[in-house]
Amino acid sequence: MISTYSQRPRLDPVSRMVIATLWLALGVFVLYPAFRLLWIAFWVDGRLSFANFMPVITNWYDRMALYNSLLLGGAVAVSGTVLGFLFAYAVTRLSLPMWFNVLLSSVSMLPLISPPFTSSIALTLSLGPNGILLKLFGLSDFNFYGFWGTFLSETLTFYPVAFMTLTTILSRIDSNLEDAAYSMGASPLRVFRTVTLPLAAPGLANAFLLVFACSLADFATPLVLAGHGFPVLPTQAYLQITGMYDLKGGAALSFMLLVPALIVYALQYYWLSKKSFVTVSGKAGGRSSVKGPGPVPSALIVMFLSFVIVFILYIYALIFWGSIVKVWGINNTLTIENYKYAFTFGNKAIKDTLIIACIGTPIGGLLSVLVGYATERLKVKGHKTLETVSLLNFALPGTVVGIAYVVAFNSKPLILTGTVSILIASYVFRYDSAGIRNVIAALQQIDPSIEEASASLGASSARTFRKVTLPLVLPAVLAGMRYLFIHSMTAISATIFLVSVRWSLITTRILECMTELQFAQACAFSIVLIVLVFIASAVMALLARVLCRTGNAGGGIQ
Amino acid sequence: MKKFITLFCAVAFAAAPAFAAREINAYSIMPEKYVSKVTQAFTEDTGIKVNFMRFSSGEALSRLIAEKDNPQVDVLIGGPADTYEAGVKEGVFEKYVPKDVEMVPAKFRSPDGYWTGLGIIPLCFMTNENFLKKNGMKAPETWADLLDPRYKNGLQMADTRTSGTATERIFSLVKIMGEDEAFKYQKELHKNIQMYTKSGAGGAMPIATGQCASGIFYIVDALDIQQQGYPVVITYPKDGVSFGIEADGIIKGAKNLEDAKIFIDWLTSKRFAEFLVANHINYVPTRTDVKTDTPALNLANINLIETDVAWKGANRAHFVERWINDVIK
Repeated sequence: MISTYSQRPRLDPVSRMVIATLWLALGVFVLYPAFRLLWIAFWVDGRLSFANFMPVITNWYDRMALYNSLLLGGAVAVSGTVLGFLFAYAVTRLSLPMWFNVLLSSVSMLPLISPPFTSSIALTLSLGPNGILLKLFGLSDFNFYGFWGTFLSETLTFYPVAFMTLTTILSRIDSNLEDAAYSMGASPLRVFRTVTLPLAAPGLANAFLLVFACSLADFATPLVLAGHGFPVLPTQAYLQITGMYDLKGGAALSFMLLVPALIVYALQYYWLSKKSFVTVSGKAGGRSSVKGPGPVPSALIVMFLSFVIVFILYIYALIFWGSIVKVWGINNTLTIENYKYAFTFGNKAIKDTLIIACIGTPIGGLLSVLVGYATERLKVKGHKTLETVSLLNFALPGTVVGIAYVVAFNSKPLILTGTVSILIASYVFRYDSAGIRNVIAALQQIDPSIEEASASLGASSARTFRKVTLPLVLPAVLAGMRYLFIHSMTAISATIFLVSVRWSLITTRILECMTELQFAQACAFSIVLIVLVFIASAVMALLARVLCRTGNAGGGIQ
Repeated sequence: MKKFITLFCAVAFAAAPAFAAREINAYSIMPEKYVSKVTQAFTEDTGIKVNFMRFSSGEALSRLIAEKDNPQVDVLIGGPADTYEAGVKEGVFEKYVPKDVEMVPAKFRSPDGYWTGLGIIPLCFMTNENFLKKNGMKAPETWADLLDPRYKNGLQMADTRTSGTATERIFSLVKIMGEDEAFKYQKELHKNIQMYTKSGAGGAMPIATGQCASGIFYIVDALDIQQQGYPVVITYPKDGVSFGIEADGIIKGAKNLEDAKIFIDWLTSKRFAEFLVANHINYVPTRTDVKTDTPALNLANINLIETDVAWKGANRAHFVERWINDVIK
């Protein structure tokens, strides 16, 4: 993209103030907590020291947790990428009927919008000891808790991330290349090996890293399924703080988690984004129909994917069933009393979660636009740093951010614990990343000469922004806001440290129900949450379509 | 006339704060299904609303300690007394001796007035009936019975790092067998463990549904499962078992101190003890003038071991440390 700017534009006072405010906000809510966390981890008795790390490194249990986190992350990344790739391949390369493609895509969206424990609950009931499926197929108990259960659950939860990335990549690779190979007589396997795979390689690597990061940071699934034999870092940090009241140890553990997370993030952002084998061009020739790999491989893939889809739908059906029966396994009379419970005792949590999500989403939208604009258009001094800092909270695992916020905001100079602002801040500064990236990508595709024209006609930068830039990036912003809203409703790993008597969340209520064996109520809460997120997501998508009638809906990440 | 109106307004304004919504904030270690009923009854009786959040004992204590400088809540509801003692050491609680305290035996409340017991709960064994029938076994009668290899991968119980139920288990064993033997026993027991759960009652449902065979719980959680209709058998070990004292206390620096005091008084009252019995909330009331009617709660049938709360509080950290290093390694 050739920029027609020859030098950085001069900033008028309004822009300056905006930039200053951005830096202030990021400083308080991103840099300050990170700094306090490092302080509490590394500063002992007035000097720099590793004393807090000694008990953690010498403790065999915590070392095992680090090893397990990496092992689990790697395993889930492999299986999640493979599964996501199969789904993406089926949707983009096999000529499947429209309804099947829609089915594949929408079922794959389910794990992304559901609360964190859904698959854990359902899988425990199905494959855990004396589980439904085990009894059905007459299999003897296999050890579900520990690595295998967590591995299975996380694969099903995170493969959609790989699926979305790979669908975008695969659909942008010109299928004419593969068709050419087919017409020259190559076997499907050869085409796949020598044409498709190499072109998709950066996308595969990107998906791998994304799923790895998701698994590394996952707190909810291991809490329920990993058990004592398979400790992982996020749950260990949580237990250290909440069970052993050891804030320093927890901070040290979360730092251990931070290092691999940052490495993954750096790899993904700086190395991979440079390589792109996307072959977007002004399409010269007409597109022939996509030739798939032939009937046998296609059939196998379709069968396997159908099986996966059925399994996922079964999980949700199980949750729904759990929410409408009186006493699981004993008394199967249908009842709505679990929902009544959710709406009376859980009423506060539902209200609070919605309020927080509804306040945070517009703020996050505004923030993403401002940061994207400042980084991409205004190109102020240090804009690369601004961008990195704004994405920092997203790169870090949720428990790390939660612990950092507790450490930073529980004592002077800024006490925010127990307030709503700490919850909103943790969401906004963590999940506006999608919005920021979307806005930057959208701005990169818009020729700056449009804005130059506006400026040269005498409009101030604020006016240009409002009348020219904003309408053009609106689809990207709205897509980012949708992402923020969904995650504000379903997140738990950061916010479990931040809930208080005055502000509670549906996800923490689900966790409490789970630990108090109120499975039926946990299921009811989960269904309520899924429905709410679904409705809100649909409303926002509709809104986006209505507001952005012109041009293409350029929103990237959903 | 004018004077009357002015006087009336003055009185109304003075009384207005009393009509503003009164509320207290609390952390509850008592499970949600009980504490929600309890607080509802309290609000009906006094008009004071209770906002609570439920945590297991380790989590609640660590929150209170972390929030010492800026307390977020006024009272702590439920939870074992040794958690309270550990909190007293950290300066988390406010001294308050409630009304009617003479009706609660001295061993069931803090000698210094920091906490008051509202009920006691012995530990017990809960076993799935179908498992026993399938294997032709009798329900466990002694601690050693749980070492039976037929229970392999069949036991669930609480994790000592987060749960008061788990530390109570260790206290029982140490009192019965002596510390080194107790940890040897637990290492043997570890071979049969399917999973250690975060909360004390976490393993009860899996036993109820048959996912695992047996476990050790406070009687309140075990009875709750049985009363719901699940096929479980509750037994007490003949060689002895200790009990937890479910307590309550006011947090130092509580923002709603007066209403918090009213709440503690209410929890110590006869009305509350009778409420527990009437609603099948299975704590044995500490008040000497209220008797429970559930046979499983009859303390005369249990070999109860007395434990000193101060001893428990002092040794908790050490036992947890030892458990991590000697038992689950």
